Amino acid sequence: MAERLAIWGDVYRQYWRINVLTALEYRANFLVWFGFTFIYHATALIALWIILQEFPSMNGWNFPQMAFLYSLWMLAHSINNTLFLTVGDVPEHVREGEFDRVFVRPLNALFQIITTPQQIFPDELILALSLFVLATIWSGVTVDWWFVVFIPLIVMGGALIDFAINLVIATCSFWFVRVDALRWIAFQLEQEFTRYPISIYTKGVRLVLTFLLPFAFMNYFPATFFLDKAEDALHLSPFVGLATPLVGLVCFVLAYWFWIIGLNKYQGVGH
Amino acid sequence: MTSISAPPQRFSLKPYLEFARVAFEREATYRFEVFTSIGSLLVRVYLFRMVWTALYAQNVAPKDLSLQDAITYSTVALLMSLVLDIDQTRLIHDKLHDGSIATDFMKPINVPLYFFSDGTGEVLFHSVLILPSLALAALIVHIDIPPPDVLGAFFLSFLFGYLVGLLMNFILNCIAFWTLEIHAVQLIVTWITDLLGGQIIPLIFFPLAFQGFIFALPFAAIYSTPLLIYVGSVTPERYPEVLGLQVMWIAIFAVISVFIWRAGARRVVVQGG
Repeated sequence: MAERLAIWGDVYRQYWRINVLTALEYRANFLVWFGFTFIYHATALIALWIILQEFPSMNGWNFPQMAFLYSLWMLAHSINNTLFLTVGDVPEHVREGEFDRVFVRPLNALFQIITTPQQIFPDELILALSLFVLATIWSGVTVDWWFVVFIPLIVMGGALIDFAINLVIATCSFWFVRVDALRWIAFQLEQEFTRYPISIYTKGVRLVLTFLLPFAFMNYFPATFFLDKAEDALHLSPFVGLATPLVGLVCFVLAYWFWIIGLNKYQGVGH
Repeated sequence: MTSISAPPQRFSLKPYLEFARVAFEREATYRFEVFTSIGSLLVRVYLFRMVWTALYAQNVAPKDLSLQDAITYSTVALLMSLVLDIDQTRLIHDKLHDGSIATDFMKPINVPLYFFSDGTGEVLFHSVLILPSLALAALIVHIDIPPPDVLGAFFLSFLFGYLVGLLMNFILNCIAFWTLEIHAVQLIVTWITDLLGGQIIPLIFFPLAFQGFIFALPFAAIYSTPLLIYVGSVTPERYPEVLGLQVMWIAIFAVISVFIWRAGARRVVVQGG
């Protein structure tokens, strides 16, 4: 077991070495991506700011609090994009017939997928961290030991939720050739519906975002806890916000189980 | 003209109608994408309904736009985006990438007109989608229908807005004559257009200090002008002014388009394709 972990650790280190070297090779691309990501998130935040100039209260949330909500999502999402982005390439590998190579290598299939080298720039992560620091100061969140202990766990949990949902969609490609549309809808739901406190939505949407596609655990529930807000979407205890790491793990386990079913099915029909 | 130009021929519209028809049918084959775009449109209509409802319920309503107006505005904006989000002249960029634009120049056709007919076919297909989308959206939200004269002005302004967007995209695609890669720039322009064009938030909600500036930008001519006519925020006595501004942008971009196309085309011919 220890030997096995050592091999994984070694592979993972090599993988990051290649990534960093690639990123250093394409420094100009990095700058372009940085500008690109910056403008994307800036337009989203400016839109929120303008709305809150005209309508000062979004169900009791003001702009700094909304910025904190946004930055929590962005942080989790950018960690997912940094660590697990390549899972989104699975449908393409399957379609192109390149997926079979993971079966002939002596390593876990999913581990092989997430260690496929590619161009990863930390642009979104850097922006997310900066925004998070700013929004934390600005919204007056108290930085106590709850914050220091739980924020990293919550962000990792949120990244796992994101990853799990992407993994489920990628797994669907073992049955359906084209899952781009599905991926796109899930992405859009995530981007647009995490922007506002879920308490403004209708009951059905709140339930979907809590239990079916639990994006609300990426930012809404933790934000209500740290901003000392009453949780008025489902009238749960604000402490639910601390459950994100657990929810993330459960999501990941379920998604992984589905992935294994998909892998067996894929091998079963003799591709 | 250069030596590769085709022998003079009487101009006929027929091949261009055919290009448009082929593009229309090509778009119609992506059935799954059609369902997705309508589905995601409906999700957003519902999202905007919830957001505006919550905002109007808890704040002093702005005097110039009621809740019903805001919901109508967002829904019509989303329906318009089915057509306006199309990059009609993407073919220029694609053909510059794979080099096939060189052979297009040898064909006895007017090349820009060929690109425009292809884009028109694509856009016509997507404008057909507006009808089912509208029918389904009407199940989610109540959409106000303005009186016929306002509706007429809206459609005219929508057409002008479409032309502004078309020419802006044409210019961007022509930049590929020099840089080949323009995808990132195009996405950025799209995001900025959505925000400063008033697709997401009506421009009358922007802080007063910026409004004069933002209304003077060409982005406002794409979405905001037709939409504000639709919800009655721009009254009939202001039609000449706002429509005139749209026409001005069309004229400016048309002139730039002609110059950039000539310069770009010369580049292809000089380099030998």
